[in-house]
Amino acid sequence: MSGLRAALLDFVAELRTAGVRISIAESLDAMHAVAAAGIERLPMREALAAALIKDEADRPAFDELFARRFAPPQPHAGERRGRERRSGTFGAAGGPNPSGSASGDKTSTPKPENETEPAIRQPRTADPRPKTSHGRVAKGIAAMEQDSGQAAKPAGGPSDHDSARADESHIDPQYDGAARTGAIGSESARAAALRAIEQTPFSLYSDLEYETARAALTILSRRFRVRLARRLKLAGAGRIDLRRTLRAAIQHGGALGDLRFRTRRPRHLELLILADISGSMKYASTLMLELAAGAAGAFRRVRSFVYIDRLAEAGFERGRLVMTPPLDLYARSDFGRVLAELKARRAELISRATVIVIMGDGRNNRRPARTDLLRELGRNARAMLWLIPEAPERWNTGDSAIGQYAKVVDTLLLVRNLREMTVGLSRIA
Amino acid sequence: MEITLESVAAGMRQARYITNQRVETAVFLALALGKPLLIEGPAGAGKTEVAKVIAAMLGTELIRLQCYEGLDEARALYEWNYQKQLLRLQADEASGQRWEEISEHLFSRDYLLERPLLRAISAPRKVVLLIDEIDKADEEFEAFLLEILSDFQVSVPELGTLKAHERPVVALTSNRARELSEALRRRCLHLFIDFPGIEQERRIIELKIPDLDARLAVEAARIVNAIRKLELKKAPSIAETLDWARALLRLGVKELDTPALRATLGLLLKHEEDRERVEARASALAARPR
Repeated sequence: MSGLRAALLDFVAELRTAGVRISIAESLDAMHAVAAAGIERLPMREALAAALIKDEADRPAFDELFARRFAPPQPHAGERRGRERRSGTFGAAGGPNPSGSASGDKTSTPKPENETEPAIRQPRTADPRPKTSHGRVAKGIAAMEQDSGQAAKPAGGPSDHDSARADESHIDPQYDGAARTGAIGSESARAAALRAIEQTPFSLYSDLEYETARAALTILSRRFRVRLARRLKLAGAGRIDLRRTLRAAIQHGGALGDLRFRTRRPRHLELLILADISGSMKYASTLMLELAAGAAGAFRRVRSFVYIDRLAEAGFERGRLVMTPPLDLYARSDFGRVLAELKARRAELISRATVIVIMGDGRNNRRPARTDLLRELGRNARAMLWLIPEAPERWNTGDSAIGQYAKVVDTLLLVRNLREMTVGLSRIA
Repeated sequence: MEITLESVAAGMRQARYITNQRVETAVFLALALGKPLLIEGPAGAGKTEVAKVIAAMLGTELIRLQCYEGLDEARALYEWNYQKQLLRLQADEASGQRWEEISEHLFSRDYLLERPLLRAISAPRKVVLLIDEIDKADEEFEAFLLEILSDFQVSVPELGTLKAHERPVVALTSNRARELSEALRRRCLHLFIDFPGIEQERRIIELKIPDLDARLAVEAARIVNAIRKLELKKAPSIAETLDWARALLRLGVKELDTPALRATLGLLLKHEEDRERVEARASALAARPR
């Protein structure tokens, strides 16, 4: 039993290395779960998943590591050939072929080895390193594509409950986790892809990641709106409303048992966004603008601007960013000049209800930072928040003036990826 | 009922719930280890049904707490019945009783309005407590639940600590409208229920609507599966699939061709944008793959 415990502890350690957060209590739960469910491969896998995986997005990583660590024993070559002749259902990888299950019932097909054999064995020598977020994004997409392919296939196969369970047990353990769960349904594959793109740093973005992130924005926007609404929502109880409390007390014979409270006045915020869309910033800025546009209903007014060396109003048409007037995308960044333009032409947009959000790296091509103008604008606004996707070790190096701007704004937030951006943006409320 | 993996599988089958190894194992562990089961997944995938099936399987009562924004302890746990207390107070005063005598029984269980959580804790036998759509409740309420879920006891200042006679089986469901706290997740076993695949949905249709032609059931499952893969505001739930299948049966549809699909889409899709999007692809969806 100590061998099993050690194997499980190693497995938990591998999951943690792969980025799955597991507490000590959860690893103890996993031990209890295996003790209850037994060490047959399938029940053990599901028992461990129930105890250790609390976010479906972690499931592909779990499946992958489980398949590696608790792989079913490989039959000898001669034995395998014999089995292949008998059943005709086994794939080239030595594992059972998923398609084979559709043709026969549980009694006529040899019982799959991964169902009968205990799961414990030494881990394979395959590379145990966790996959990079890039890899996971690709897998998520692959899972979705696989999903679409599945949709085109005609249904068929076993008709009773047991054979459907047998179907699942036929799944090749080496088969990619995300694709496997995707074959069952579509949501888990989406969750995995979403988690991966949420955690991919903006600095690693190419057009592919950007498009994946845009696709994920629908879900993220909804979560952002919920988070924002909760922060903006009226507090349940304001000051005691004496008149209504006394009136309620009359109904209870004069006992002041039912206190009534005034409702708080709703907070009407206005949002002014300044987003740097120069080369290094374009992905983060466009995504932020789109995210904010999706939550426009939570504010009294949202005005979005993009800048490089000049200011342009930003909007979205059919999901694409439209600038008015168009900006020269090859210009050299000059935020000081943008601030002067904002003050001269758009100062009326800033009031005590306005929260100014700036997304930029503070790189100014060694031109004047004009922090005096930023300070003045900030003085008229409710709050000023600066979001920066650049790594802190690069701040104040080269032409970065972020140190100067940081002294003027109320909050400077590092937003390296979509998740941090969503959380950071909700701080405007 | 002896709790084994096999008995849970058989029990769920008997309760007419089409299941798989993942669901069976999670339910078995929730019963065997006495831990709450957090069920997540898209709306309409059958999360709430799992709790109902557990109750049916155990032959016990299902106590449901429907969560919503603003739900507080008074509505979830208990409230004093002010009106009844006042009536009693007035009656006792008229009979000349002293305050010590009055207060002794004024704060007794007779005047306590038990809400779902307290009902589950004070039930004389094991019950199933369903905390539905926990993601809709506020974070403060979620924090309050942590105490209940770890100790299964509550403190009522006037009565002392009330401890569960039998720990209820607890199932929580979430559509992930917001992220639940890590603390809550840690205390629960986790089960993700996705929409069923084509084969599983076909079996659900056949089980619930046995009169429907088998070929039509396959087609319906295939089309719903394909519709769910489109980017829609709201994907069709299993219940909506069943409604659609019932409608097909009632309309006497023999072949799920493009006109039949277009005419009945309203049963599956409840947003006009979704309907337009699917209608544009109706021919491709209705065409049978080779």
